[in-house]
Parts: sequence; C-alpha cells; structure tokens
Amino acid sequence: MGEIRERGIMQVKFSYLERQFVEVDKYLKGIEALVRTTDFTLGGPLLEFERRFAALCRMPHAIGVASGTDALILSLKVLGIGPGDEVITTPMTFIATVGAIVMTGATPVFVDSDDGFVIDPTKIEAAVTPRTKAIIPVHYTGNVADMPAIMDIVRRHQLLVVEDACQSISASRDGKPVGSWGETACFSLHPLKNLNVWGDGGVIVTRSDDLADQLRRYRNHGLINRDEVQTFGCNSRLDTLQAVIGNLLIEEVEFITSQRIANARKFDEAFADMGEFIRIPERHPNVMHVYHLYLIRVSRRDELLAYLHRNGVEAKVHYPIPVHLQEAARCLKYKAGDFPISEADCKAIITLPAHQHLTPAEIDYTIDQVRSFYLK
Amino acid sequence: MKTSRPTIPYVNLAGQHASIKAELLEAIEQVLDHSKFILGPEVEEFEQRFAQVCQVDHAIAVNSGTDALVLALRALGIGPGDEVITVSNSFIASTSCIILAGARPVFVDVGEDYNLAPAQLEQAITVRTRAILPVHLTGHPADMEPIMAIARRHGLHVIEDCAQAVLAGYRGQRVGSIGTVGCFSLHPLKTLNACGDGGVLTTNDPVLSESFKVLRNIGLRSRDDCVVWSGNSRLDTLQAAILLVKLRYLEDRTEKRRAHARFYIQALADVGGVQTPREHPFEKAVYHTFVILAERRDVLKQHLAAQGIETAIHYPVPIHLHTAAAHLGYGRGSLPETERQAERILSLPVYPDLEPSDLEWIVENIRSFYHARGDG
Repeated sequence: MGEIRERGIMQVKFSYLERQFVEVDKYLKGIEALVRTTDFTLGGPLLEFERRFAALCRMPHAIGVASGTDALILSLKVLGIGPGDEVITTPMTFIATVGAIVMTGATPVFVDSDDGFVIDPTKIEAAVTPRTKAIIPVHYTGNVADMPAIMDIVRRHQLLVVEDACQSISASRDGKPVGSWGETACFSLHPLKNLNVWGDGGVIVTRSDDLADQLRRYRNHGLINRDEVQTFGCNSRLDTLQAVIGNLLIEEVEFITSQRIANARKFDEAFADMGEFIRIPERHPNVMHVYHLYLIRVSRRDELLAYLHRNGVEAKVHYPIPVHLQEAARCLKYKAGDFPISEADCKAIITLPAHQHLTPAEIDYTIDQVRSFYLK
Repeated sequence: MKTSRPTIPYVNLAGQHASIKAELLEAIEQVLDHSKFILGPEVEEFEQRFAQVCQVDHAIAVNSGTDALVLALRALGIGPGDEVITVSNSFIASTSCIILAGARPVFVDVGEDYNLAPAQLEQAITVRTRAILPVHLTGHPADMEPIMAIARRHGLHVIEDCAQAVLAGYRGQRVGSIGTVGCFSLHPLKTLNACGDGGVLTTNDPVLSESFKVLRNIGLRSRDDCVVWSGNSRLDTLQAAILLVKLRYLEDRTEKRRAHARFYIQALADVGGVQTPREHPFEKAVYHTFVILAERRDVLKQHLAAQGIETAIHYPVPIHLHTAAAHLGYGRGSLPETERQAERILSLPVYPDLEPSDLEWIVENIRSFYHARGDG
C-alpha cells in the first residue's frame, strides 16, 4: 500500500483501519453468510472465535463480551467485588479501568506507575488495607506489568487479580502470556486495538471452569436456559457479527505483533542517540512488549506534537491527564502530587504511529521528522 | 392430510434479511469506507431518524435495551435504597436493570392488556419509591394517563420500557415520548432489529440527553475529559447503518403485523377457549408478539406443533418466581393475575412475512382444537 501525500507532505496516519480493507471481499462474504443464517446472538461464529481466542492466549476459557470495559466490570462482579471493597490499580491507564471499578460499587485505590508505564510493585503494599479485595494491573501500551512481584504481594495478602490486558494481546513475560496470572484477564477488541473488530468488543479469559460458567451466565441476563434465571445478570454479548470479523483477523495476530515489534525497534534504534531530548523506557529482554502504543518521553512535548501534526505525522498523547486528576475522580480525593511518576509522564509522553500497516518509508519519515524537530 | 403443509416457524429472520441483503451490504461497505466504527456518522443519523419516528426531541443509541434501562435509572440518580415499581410479566431485563442500578424492584399486578394495572399502583408506593417502570408488553401501550397522573402526584419519574413497542401510540402520543425516558431494544427479534444487540434511549429533556451521551461513553465529555465514572455502551456504527436500512421498512412492516393481528382477532372471535387482545380506539398496538389467553394452553401448543405451527410463550415464568428473585420475598400467589396469565398465554406467529394462507391455517387448527373438544 502506497504512502499518501497532501500538499506534498507525507501523511502518516495513527489508525491502520483504512488499510485493513485490501481484501474487503472476504469480510463481506463472512457477513453475508451470517445474515443468511441470522444466527446473530451468541451464534456459531462467536463460539468459534472464543475457542480460537482461548487457544491464542493459551487458556482454557474465553468469553466474548460487549467491550473491554464490560470485560473488567463482569470480571469484578463474578469475583464478588462490590460496595465497601477497594481495588488497587494505577492512574496511568485509560479511564475505563477505573470506571469499571466504580461501576461495581467498589472504591479504586491508585498506586503510581513505573518507568514502563505499568504499576510499580514496590509501592503496592503501602496501599493495601483490610478492605482491599483485588488488584488490576494494567499491561499498558502492550507492556507487561511485573506480575511475579505482584503475585508475591497477592499471595501475602490473599487478594484477587484481574489483569487489564486490553492493550496487550499476545504479550508475555518470562514466556508466560498475559492473562495467565490473574483470576481473569480482560481484552479489548476496539477498532484501534492490535486485534480489532468493527465496533466495540471485549473478551475475558480464565483458567477457572466455575468463573467461566458464571461469566457466560452473567453476560446473558443470568439465564441458565431460555426461561430460567438463577441470579440477575446483564446484557453484554460480543455480537456474532463482530466475531465473524474477529475470526478472520485473529489469523493475522502473529503478523500484527511482529510488525509492531519491528517498527518499535526501528524507532528505539533511531532515537538511541537522542537521550538529551528523548527518554525511551527500559526494554526488558524477558518481556515481549507488543506495542499497541509506542510511547516515549520527550522534551517540549506539546511543541513536538504540533510540529509532527504540521508535517503530516498523526502522533497522539495517551493520555494528557492522569485518571486521578480527572473531574470524575474528585470524589476519590486525590490531588496533584500524589503520583509523581504518572503525573510527570502525562506531561512528557507522546505516542508515535507504529501500526502494522506502516510502510518503511512512513517509519523513516516519522523518524526524520522527530529528529529534525530537535536537531535542525 | 393437512400435514403436507410446510411448517410455520415462530419467527423468520432469514426471510426479512433475504429481501434487503443487497441494501444491507451496501450500507456496511459505506461504513468500511470511512472506518468510523465507534460513534460514526450513521449513529447520529440513526438517532435523528429514531427521534422522528418516536416524535421525541432526543434519541441516544446504546449497546442494548437492557443498557438503555440501566442508564436511564443511573442518569436519574436511582440507586441503593431506592425502589422502582414495575411488573413481573416481562423479559427478565426490565427487573434486572433495577438490580444492576442497585435499587429494589417492587412488583404490581397487571390487567387484561397484560400491562401494569394503574389501580394497583398507588398502594405500592412508599417513601423510597423513585420511579415507575411500565412495560409496553407485546407492543401494546400501557395505560399511561393514570400512570402519569399518579407519578405527578407523588413526584416520581416514569421510565417507559418500550423494548417491544416502537411506533406504538397512546392518545395521540408515541410510546417513549410520554414518560421521563423511553427505553427501546434493537435485539434481532424486535420489530426494529439490528444484526446484534442494540438499544435506544428517548427523552424530551435536553439535560438527560447530554447525560446519556456521557454515560454511554465511559463518562467522557471529550477525548480527555472524564466527568463521571461510567461503563461503555455505544451502539456500533455498523449496526446503526444496518438499522437505517431497516427503518425504511418499519412502518410498512408494522402495518402488516397490525393487519395480521386484526385477522386473528376477527377469525378467533367466536372460539370459546381463546381470548384475543383488545385494542381501544385511543391505542395503537404494534404486535411485537400476538398473545392469546388459551384454555388448556400446553395441549393447544402441542397440537399446533404437531401441525407444524411453532408458537412461543412470553414468558412462562413470571420474574418474581425466578430463583434470582427469591430474596425479594414474592411468593406464588402474590401477583394472581400475572400468575393466572402465565399459565394461559400463547404467542402466535405474527411476523410481516407471513402469508394469508399461513394465518388461515393457524386459525383453522386453533378452531379445530377447541371444536373437536366441544367447547367451540
């Protein structure tokens, strides 16, 4: 696929979606076949997608739900977390992690992030109280939180773990895949994710047969059959239509992952000599980071962002405001200065386009633009 | 032998979709072209069209009818400690939404129209009552005038469960425009159906409308500004595009349902074992289901099944008798009319694509069932 120019300037898009449709016919055929069977709710293609997703995560159960956010809410619900309970997570995340905790009636408790934009395990224990029930480590950007250290703390305090793996499909640490530590792990299939569908979607994986059964019931109104409800549930089913798309795209996860890793390496190498302006997080050889987001810390971030936009590179910031300083968080009574690493990072981070459909010329152009901003 | 007739399924989604397949695929391709899969232009267009259809100022599309109900309750600030009055003869979601919001459902009995009996309403109101949640079951409007009068007298909100009743009317108003909020479902089996889960909220209150938009989108007012904690409940752009196609046919298909219903009502008028629904001149029912009260219902159902006629029961177990509702303290006998109806109700096929000969065949078999037993 060729590069796009507007008024002579190369356009490097953040979203890869336009390039997902080179072979649009096979997707449309899949949709057409589904429309013919009208198997729209918890249909055959969804069950197939769940089997394949479980295999990809090397876990026994995968349950398709309406979104990554719902994956977190449903996980907490079936683990019995609710009013009066505290759940520990980090302010360096998309707001949905915290929204999910509040939706169950529990209270979010924040712990600062570390160099890799994931929860700092050395600071977790100070946040544990008698009311703490669970930890949600977020495998932010496609990195993997320090799960061995977190699991030590979890065992000492008898806590539950729900992994927020929304951005980190196929990532692993010491050869262990994300999703294999927690009671459950939650994935998002939102259109910008490494593995996407064409709308909202999410998946929960778990090792537990019992939790899998509970989740399957809870996502479907608590129904045990058409006419019987044992406990009240909600409606959060991954559309079978979206599973049709998921089944076609899941075959590409290996390509998507390796391409994003290769793109990230090129960026890392190209910026290695720019320590004065750019701080690349430490890369750990035992972690397979899948670079849903390629984040670096830069000086004069807002100027660089504007410069890149002027020059056609659609860089972004994930996210400029840490969750504890959002308006919605006022009720939690945190203030500026509580989480210095997350707060400093939110002012310094920039996300460069690193998706699997970028051409070598687009990567080189992006690198040139970043370098020329600082070095010209 | 009459058994050579083809079977008549209870629903025939494939028939509906076969006739509009080309239009559907074209609409889907248009979404692919812009790739705005989340809250894309088709969502807004659908919301505007849906608001027109319901003769209401605002329509906000969400992920399911259940979510519409939950968001309505949450936007109105209804939660723990509050009571919401509703009926027990509905799909489980009209009660589970109250539980999901943290409030307590209070059941009242129903009348001959299968809907909330206004005469029973006032005695169920306590100091904790915050809202009334009438269900327009079967597509027949609940008796809204006395319900609204009681609500006004006691300062209560009215949340209309319109899941089965798009286009239904009551004294010149469309359902969904009468109470504080209307909640619609777009489930594949509904009269206006997506190819997956979907729902809509309607209201004339601009403040509530804004609140619904924020609540369905994780509490975000803009990309980086989270003003309230919430979950994720957006209607997929892809489903909105599909629904815009279906909307072209909604009025026509609804009129066909109404014609089928008129046929049944006339043709079954003199059958002693059967009571057909009654439509007052000030009401417009849309017959999402065509429900009769039948003597020896289960035997009749078997008799029809033996003739290849599929029927359904909406719903065989009233919500207050489900295991999940045990903690609410309603035993058998607490809602006598609801329970009496649950043993007699039978839903006959009423989808638009039925042929006159199908309807005649169904009627003939109902007549022969009762005449053969001498109670015709």
